Amino acid sequence: MIVITLDEVIKNKVNGLCYGNRIILPFKAHFLKVIIENDIITDFSSSSKGISIVEHEAYSDLYFLEYKMLSDDLSKYEAIKIVLVEEGKNIFDWNNHRKIALYLAEKHKVTIEETDADILFIE
Amino acid sequence: MLAFFVSRNIFAAETKSVTDSLATSGGHASQLPNPIMVLPFVVLLLLIATGPIFYRHFWERNYHKISILLGLLTVSYYLVFINDFKSVEHSVIEYISFIALLTSLFIASGSILIKVNFKAAPVSNVLFLLFGAVISNLIGTTGASMLLIRPFIKMNRDRMKPYLIIFFIFIVSNIGGALTPIGDPPLFLGFLRGVPFFWVIQNVFPIWIIGILLTLLVFFLFDISNKNTAETVTEKGKWLVELKGSKNLIYFAIIIIAVFIDPKVMSWVPSLSPLPFGIREIIMFAVAFASFKSADLEILKANEFDFEPIKEVAYLFIGIFLTMIPALQLIAFESRVYSHYLTQATFYWSTGVLSAVLDNAPTYLNFLSAAMGKFGLDINLAADVKHFVIVDEVYLRAISVSAVFFGAMTYIGNGPNFMVKSISERAGIEMPSFFTYIIKYSLPILLPVFVLIWLLFFRG
Repeated sequence: MIVITLDEVIKNKVNGLCYGNRIILPFKAHFLKVIIENDIITDFSSSSKGISIVEHEAYSDLYFLEYKMLSDDLSKYEAIKIVLVEEGKNIFDWNNHRKIALYLAEKHKVTIEETDADILFIE
Repeated sequence: MLAFFVSRNIFAAETKSVTDSLATSGGHASQLPNPIMVLPFVVLLLLIATGPIFYRHFWERNYHKISILLGLLTVSYYLVFINDFKSVEHSVIEYISFIALLTSLFIASGSILIKVNFKAAPVSNVLFLLFGAVISNLIGTTGASMLLIRPFIKMNRDRMKPYLIIFFIFIVSNIGGALTPIGDPPLFLGFLRGVPFFWVIQNVFPIWIIGILLTLLVFFLFDISNKNTAETVTEKGKWLVELKGSKNLIYFAIIIIAVFIDPKVMSWVPSLSPLPFGIREIIMFAVAFASFKSADLEILKANEFDFEPIKEVAYLFIGIFLTMIPALQLIAFESRVYSHYLTQATFYWSTGVLSAVLDNAPTYLNFLSAAMGKFGLDINLAADVKHFVIVDEVYLRAISVSAVFFGAMTYIGNGPNFMVKSISERAGIEMPSFFTYIIKYSLPILLPVFVLIWLLFFRG
């Protein structure tokens, strides 16, 4: 499986996937902060009750443990917002911190966008 | 107030004389309900207060069923046991008016995006909050909160601290909206019952200005100690403020005009009776529909628009409106008997304390009912309400001020408080917990202001 970067994902508008409470992102990253509805998740340890992240060779799985069906709880205008650093880049360099927004679309698709100035997102 | 009556064992009376057990409701005689029927109301309010905090996921999945079930319990009692259809009908009519206003304001404000191209400093923040306080009287605290919280966060994004959001809740989501019936739901309920529209601004303005200025002063002191304080910085080549979706301002204007399109306010307006709504409500729902259908998708996305908050208000308030019928009738009846115990200070603090921990809209109605009961007047009769405004203004002023102001004391005191908290958290801001909000902010900041207002205006 080909590994693609976040830049390529954004540029080529590559979609992620959503099944139930699982979101599959087509890149690998270090996750710093995930916001879903009112929950701000920063604990990504195995004991976390909010989220479980499983990394594969070329993609990442995010399981939202407090949800059964994400599509039942999120409207098409609501974003899951994530602060992350692409794998291989220096996590301590603030310039590498990227903010993305995920929107659930039809047929299990998840659109991935870099947040613009209109989206409120404070790291 | 309920505790006051219970302490005097007046709800324990099993039997009353036929004359005593009659209360008027909606212009008709009806039997006084059994005091036990206050329980669904109390249970619902307690669940609303505790659900979002202590058992959030259960509450999110079941609140609508619980609210409707408790409401139906009260309706069944009225229809089957005391054959009183009028009281239920009256509440349903009032509920439809209430939810029509909130829905239309919510959707119209969600379809507008205000972009600010400057970074905030203490003075600009004070001016922004003052503007929010004023505008909340025109588009409601719900509309103003929805409209202004995002630009407020954005202009403070490099100096964001929780106190900024807390003061926004204090000033824009609550205290600001004390001047008109559009401002805050309790005052709109009073207007629906017969309180003249301009009575509020004529009687509350001096208290409002003191409350707003004192709170803004404390905010300013907080804000200048923000380590990230800087001079207001504007982004070159851009307008300071940009408005997207400005056609919705026309919708706002229609909603405000529609508030007055009621046969009780303008005699030429036709009544649609026996339908439980009028032309006003049709206009408001039509505006809500048109506003959403014509909304720019990019704006809805930027506002992360979701029907959930208004859906929650709609479900919870149908339960509140139905379950509070017995409480309103009993309080009105008993307050006639114990009227000599009730002073303006009693009304100010009782309304305030309950508005802080319960929703302020039903609290306002309960205490208005009690205050009118002192004069042998019935809250269910518009003529009685109009008469009450003439014979007394101190009690109504105390109730109006404290219902609106004290709504800021907790996250659950007023609907927009939770919406603002939710929007802030979705933006990534860690908000204080329920108790931290009270202990760290509302008790030390708001309580002294409210004590001062009591000393100046309602000590008697």
